[in-house]
Amino acid sequence: MGHSDAASPAPAPAARDARKKRGNRTAAKLKQSKLETRRGQWLNNSGQGNDGKDAKVAATPTGARSNAGSPILASPHPPLPRRRVDSRSRGSDPEDREEAGATGLEIGGSDLDSPMHSPGSDKSQGSGCGAQRKGFSGNGHGPSPSSGSSVWSSSRSVSDAEEDTGCPEDENEVLDDWEAAADALYDDDSHCHHSSVPTTPPPAPTTAPPANAAGPETIRSKARAWAPDDKFRPQSLPSISKQASFPASIGNSWAGMGMTAAQQGILSLPVSCPICYEDLDPTDSSFLPCPCGFHLCLFCHKRILEADGRCPGCRKQYNTASAVEEGGGGAKETTVGTGRQMANIAPVRLFRSCSMGPRY
Amino acid sequence: MVDVSRVQKELTECNRDREVSGVSIALHDGANISHLTGTIAGPADSPYEGGTFTIDIRLPGGYPFEPPKMQFITKVWHPNISSQNGAICLDILKDQWSPALTLKTALLSLQALLSCPAPDDPQDAVVAQQYLRDYPTFAATARYWTEAFAKCSSTGMEEKVQKLVEMGFPEELVRSTLKSVDGDENMALEKLCSG
Repeated sequence: MGHSDAASPAPAPAARDARKKRGNRTAAKLKQSKLETRRGQWLNNSGQGNDGKDAKVAATPTGARSNAGSPILASPHPPLPRRRVDSRSRGSDPEDREEAGATGLEIGGSDLDSPMHSPGSDKSQGSGCGAQRKGFSGNGHGPSPSSGSSVWSSSRSVSDAEEDTGCPEDENEVLDDWEAAADALYDDDSHCHHSSVPTTPPPAPTTAPPANAAGPETIRSKARAWAPDDKFRPQSLPSISKQASFPASIGNSWAGMGMTAAQQGILSLPVSCPICYEDLDPTDSSFLPCPCGFHLCLFCHKRILEADGRCPGCRKQYNTASAVEEGGGGAKETTVGTGRQMANIAPVRLFRSCSMGPRY
Repeated sequence: MVDVSRVQKELTECNRDREVSGVSIALHDGANISHLTGTIAGPADSPYEGGTFTIDIRLPGGYPFEPPKMQFITKVWHPNISSQNGAICLDILKDQWSPALTLKTALLSLQALLSCPAPDDPQDAVVAQQYLRDYPTFAATARYWTEAFAKCSSTGMEEKVQKLVEMGFPEELVRSTLKSVDGDENMALEKLCSG
């Protein structure tokens, strides 16, 4: 069951570029460890109940099946830590369930670390791990809501209904925003310039991994996510919703990259001239006569130059040089100024197109 | 020539959140877009609290590149507002005007001026002197003026007018009728209904 789920969508993503795969692989590991956390918690729960033995029996085939279902997971992931999780959470005192749950989580975290360093010790995975851990702390209070579909189905086959409190609603939300988070991961990848050759066989990715990767971001931006049953979930215009949710979700964790400011700079670009309230055309939008960044249309600018020549935004004289020279030199000065402003803006635009790139 | 489209947009923009901002603008007479009437609510925690102040606004031909001419119609006891004619001493209405400002921001600035007088740059020297030397008396006078000139008549009137207009009577007629019956709502309604 889990096997077929994992196998069927494999060819399509395999055609994607290598970076995507890497992201998938990282996410797949996360998925694996999350699964373990879940199992640990579940075992703990059922261990407190009367049939802990059944649980043990059932748990073993799950691991086997999920491994078979996604071959990537099998190779980089040493079997040892899994056993550790199982044994510890099983061996823990059934009376203090919470503590055991916490232990399970911790192990999940360290579990994550171990495969990270083993294959290529590559940077991106390390940082991906940081992001994933955040996901863990976010999910700490319950069965992880962001388990992928193949894992989901397999774990569902073992566990009984009440265990599936990792409400499907959450799962949907996670799936909704996975693209944004995948972009974030990709972005990180490209920043690290890591060029390690994958030591593991090329992943036959499941549909699940990106969903897992979305964990940390989605939880934070939950309020903005589309409702799972929303009919207007934009298949046709996804970029709008993403642009709205992206800066906010990114801003928290990536503030150091100056991305928030950049995004805001773009988003706050006025669509109409604040003086005459007419729409700004592209020429007007790229026209920045004053270092304060106040946008206005060329007509209003001309009108102001004819009068006192002060910027409406900061009340400073527009161009002291041109005011003195009064002529062609002044015009040149203006264009130079504009060019400089554009140069300041240019990287911002590039950055945006970069980050949006893999989507299309 | 006044930028008509900008002024119209400003009017809709400003009146959209009049309840929240406490600031509204209306045409003074139906036809002329360069003659407006603004109203601001007296700021809380000031002697002007609870009052509604009416401001006469005249837009020069160069608006928005020239500042609007504003003057209090409602009598105000304030160091920077003439107690005689309502002239306002505020930099953004003079040399510090910027075309990026709007009628709404100007009115909001007036509201701010009410809560923070600047007696060192006075318009009304007597009021400024009083403000500096004997603040309690100043506050009492300002409160009294608010009570006497900025309350009931205008606020109550506006509410009554709105009520009657919502019933379906034309605003002009409602105003004239209310005036003729000295602001008695029921009398006005009776009169309006009888024709």
